[in-house]
Amino acid sequence: MYVSNTCKSSLEFSNESAPRGLVVHTPFARNLLTFLMVFGPGLIVMEADNDAGAVSSYIQAGALYGTRLLWLMLVLLPITYFVQEMVVRLGIATGQGHAAMIYKRFGRWWGAFSLFDLELVNFLTLVTEFAAIALALPRLGVPASFGVPAFAIALILIVVSGSYLRWERIVVGLCLLDGVWFGIAWYLRPPLLQAVHDSLIPTLPPTGLTPDLMFLTVAIVGTTIAPWQLFFQQSCVADKRLRFGDLNWARLDTFLGACFTVVVAMCMMVAGGASSRLGFSFTDPARMAADLGRALGPGLKLGILLMMCNAAVLGTTAISLSSAWAYGEVKGWPHSLEIPFRDAPAFYGVYIGCTALAAAIVLIPRAPLQLIILSVQVLAGIMLPSAIIFLQLLLDDRELLGERFANRRWNNWINWTIIAVLFVLSLILAAQVIAPELFPA
Amino acid sequence: MRAMMSHSAETEWTQFVVVHPLRDVPEEKLDTSRLGERPLGPRAKLALFALRAYLLLMTSLVVYHAIGLAGLVGPLGR
Repeated sequence: MYVSNTCKSSLEFSNESAPRGLVVHTPFARNLLTFLMVFGPGLIVMEADNDAGAVSSYIQAGALYGTRLLWLMLVLLPITYFVQEMVVRLGIATGQGHAAMIYKRFGRWWGAFSLFDLELVNFLTLVTEFAAIALALPRLGVPASFGVPAFAIALILIVVSGSYLRWERIVVGLCLLDGVWFGIAWYLRPPLLQAVHDSLIPTLPPTGLTPDLMFLTVAIVGTTIAPWQLFFQQSCVADKRLRFGDLNWARLDTFLGACFTVVVAMCMMVAGGASSRLGFSFTDPARMAADLGRALGPGLKLGILLMMCNAAVLGTTAISLSSAWAYGEVKGWPHSLEIPFRDAPAFYGVYIGCTALAAAIVLIPRAPLQLIILSVQVLAGIMLPSAIIFLQLLLDDRELLGERFANRRWNNWINWTIIAVLFVLSLILAAQVIAPELFPA
Repeated sequence: MRAMMSHSAETEWTQFVVVHPLRDVPEEKLDTSRLGERPLGPRAKLALFALRAYLLLMTSLVVYHAIGLAGLVGPLGR
């Protein structure tokens, strides 16, 4: 009986302790089943990045520029894959999380800086997620004072069950639910030839390269490649205990996740463009959903609002987990979704605390949500280059990874180029937000 | 004999057992316990220096903006 390479060690064990597996009869079935078992972290990290902030950014881009920025998403596709592939490699090779690796190889100062920055940006992002839920639910007839706590409780319950697989299956289901955006885009009937042209041929809008366009472009880039993704996927891969032999399947998972996410993002842009074509001016996605619902039917409004909530839910669970995993790794706490709550109270406590506190802040009357949303953009822009620099330095560390898992020369060339571009874009974004007088309209 | 045994073994190998990562025997990962802080080469030092400069600049911009919001200084160029 053939035993897959990944569990040859089971031959040395008795029947009672041998790992439980599924029996198939063809190589194709073996490969398919292996992929399905490995599948998950890549799709989740990519699709959770289409969170509430991303929905707002992409829809706004579509509302302002129609389909003219679709090409930007295809440019970002390989970039986001390259970055996350490095994360997968590091996680599978070491079996440890990103925060722990930074502490180990770069010392306490850089480790503490990375952790503090991650936790701060993550928490502020969580507030924006719940802010989006609070914005969408009243338009569905659900008071925010009821809906926001209900969502927070649901998000806590799916994590504290003590089963990684249960959490993963629920979240993968929510990720695939974002496929509704395909239906929304199809229903809105964008000018198809124009959309295909704008996807493949980089063009500028008729207004040219304005500061507003630069701002939105940088915001889209920062939305598509977020710092928390680096920490999340590495910890997720480690928690799922992916094996050396799973690396190529994990790469495929990440690539398919990136493709799915980019196409969903493009559909969001199409939705924003449709709103503009119908003469509505964009203020926020929930208002746009209401406008489109009046013009084209209540089903469209319902679909967009539910997808907004779905995006916020995905973002919240992934970002909260990245915080909990990172903190648990650094503190040396038990930090796995496979461990019951009673055996890892601190790990689950961080997740619950972040989720509950973010939800509570949104419900405070006159909470400075706009300031928080603005702060997230700035801080994420500040943090992204530093997160990717550490990732690159870790992947170029042959003492750590050996020749098998360390970067090749072409990896390094591509990644340093990405880092340089992200540095420049982050500086532009932060400067535009912090010192707008530097950029005359 | 080994080849014959392999051949006869192969003809019997018509089943594959696929084990989920979480149900498999934990794999021995790369040993990082013996490693401390990474010795920094010229490229790494340059990267971290650039990162420090970048963070200093960004922090300065944030402080400038905060001071501007407080009304202590006007915007540039005025």
